[in-house]
Amino acid sequence: MRTRFLIVDDSELVRKSLRTVLQANPDWEICGEAADGEAALKLFSELHPNIVILDFQMPGINGIETARRMSEVAPAVPIVLFTQHASPDLERHAREAGIRSVVSKTDAFPMVGMIEALLGPAESEPAAEGSADYGKGQAG
Amino acid sequence: MREQEKVNILMVDDQPGKLLTYEAILNELDENLIKARSGKEALDHLLRTDIAVVLMDVSMPELDGFQLADMIRQHPRFQKIAIIFISAVHLTDLDRLNAYQRGAVDYISVPVVPELLRAKVRVFADLHRKTQQLETLNRDLRSLSARLLAMQDEERRHIARDLHDSIGPLIAALSMNNGMLAQQTKKLGPDVADVLQQNNQLVEQLSKDIRTISHLLHPPLLDEIGLLPAIKMFAEGFAERSSVKVDVELSPEIGRLPPNVEISVFRVVQECLTNVYRHSGSKTASIKIAPSQEKLLTVQVRDEGKGMPRTNGVPASPGSNHGVGLSGMRERLRELGGTLEIKSSENGTTVIAAVPVAKPMVKNV
Repeated sequence: MRTRFLIVDDSELVRKSLRTVLQANPDWEICGEAADGEAALKLFSELHPNIVILDFQMPGINGIETARRMSEVAPAVPIVLFTQHASPDLERHAREAGIRSVVSKTDAFPMVGMIEALLGPAESEPAAEGSADYGKGQAG
Repeated sequence: MREQEKVNILMVDDQPGKLLTYEAILNELDENLIKARSGKEALDHLLRTDIAVVLMDVSMPELDGFQLADMIRQHPRFQKIAIIFISAVHLTDLDRLNAYQRGAVDYISVPVVPELLRAKVRVFADLHRKTQQLETLNRDLRSLSARLLAMQDEERRHIARDLHDSIGPLIAALSMNNGMLAQQTKKLGPDVADVLQQNNQLVEQLSKDIRTISHLLHPPLLDEIGLLPAIKMFAEGFAERSSVKVDVELSPEIGRLPPNVEISVFRVVQECLTNVYRHSGSKTASIKIAPSQEKLLTVQVRDEGKGMPRTNGVPASPGSNHGVGLSGMRERLRELGGTLEIKSSENGTTVIAAVPVAKPMVKNV
């Protein structure tokens, strides 16, 4: 089964670039896109993505708060914070909200590798755990 | 006839005839004349109206002129009232000295020369009017400077937001595209791979520069996750740019504060560190933010530099870069009901700002 991504960013340009980068991997697909936290939470519960790429500074609730609410629902789904403001302090806050990894938007180089590492062990067994988190509402 | 406001002149004498005489003399000034027949009546007027000049007899039954003057001077609101004594008796130098020590501005003996009395009262009435105008202007200036500071904050926030929203995504897209290309380096010739590598470095530099500008304009973390992380991040960036070692000590119980307090405290710290870098010559700085009382936040920034330039023993001279920054800080804090204290010597400078907060800060341990 292909890995399904939810990408959340208020910039269409950033979402487009993310699509290009992620879809270069034939095993990855974008299942949904949102431009703010509220819309992301709605899609998150509807689409049950396997992984979320999340912007930090967005209109309405910010990425950290969005992540906090997502991890309350499905803690096993990895969330990557994709931000212009990556710093150790932000990272600490991000981890407290259940975010697995923080990637700097302006140094997006290591992102693909980082995502692979996040998904890596999940390919086999924990993937099942991940889907179990959603209960019976599993889509596709 | 004239556009300026009339001021109140209080005349105090136990003899009605004298009061009428003073009234006749002072009528020409076209101010408000108020008559009081006793010291007690005079106090009643003083409490109710803003009085510019008190003209009073020294010898009155019950409360005499000197006692009344003492009572007036004790009240902070009345400190600036001009008191003129009129006396037919008590005319020794000691009596006059007694009057001046009680804060009188003049001591006139009877018989009164009408022109002289009128001229003297006019001087103090005008002085009072000018003081009032100055106070009004001062208040206007204060509120203008507070508005300007708030607008400057808003404008900076706006520009930082624009940078983030417009240039930020462009850099992110550039960086991701470069990342895609980098995965194909094997297919590229070494020259092209080299150019790509250079492009990556350029994008990185560009993003770093924009980030610095945007963070100095308005720290993004301030709105999103609060003062303490924003200060920490700013201090880290400052240390990197300036090579000044910065020690940061922040009490976690402070938590989130109202937005105007957060931005003001942030700006105070920012201004202090800028001064450390530009003027102090210090290689170290320390920032300490902690509650000194349940509802009072203390911000302390210390360096080990050469201290501030001193004029007449007072740190900071007007017109220097120091002065502008400091008065800006003072204004910000005054707006919040806070204070600014500066201790400076050849061993370094310590700036201490105290800001009242509405909600008590308690340890959440």
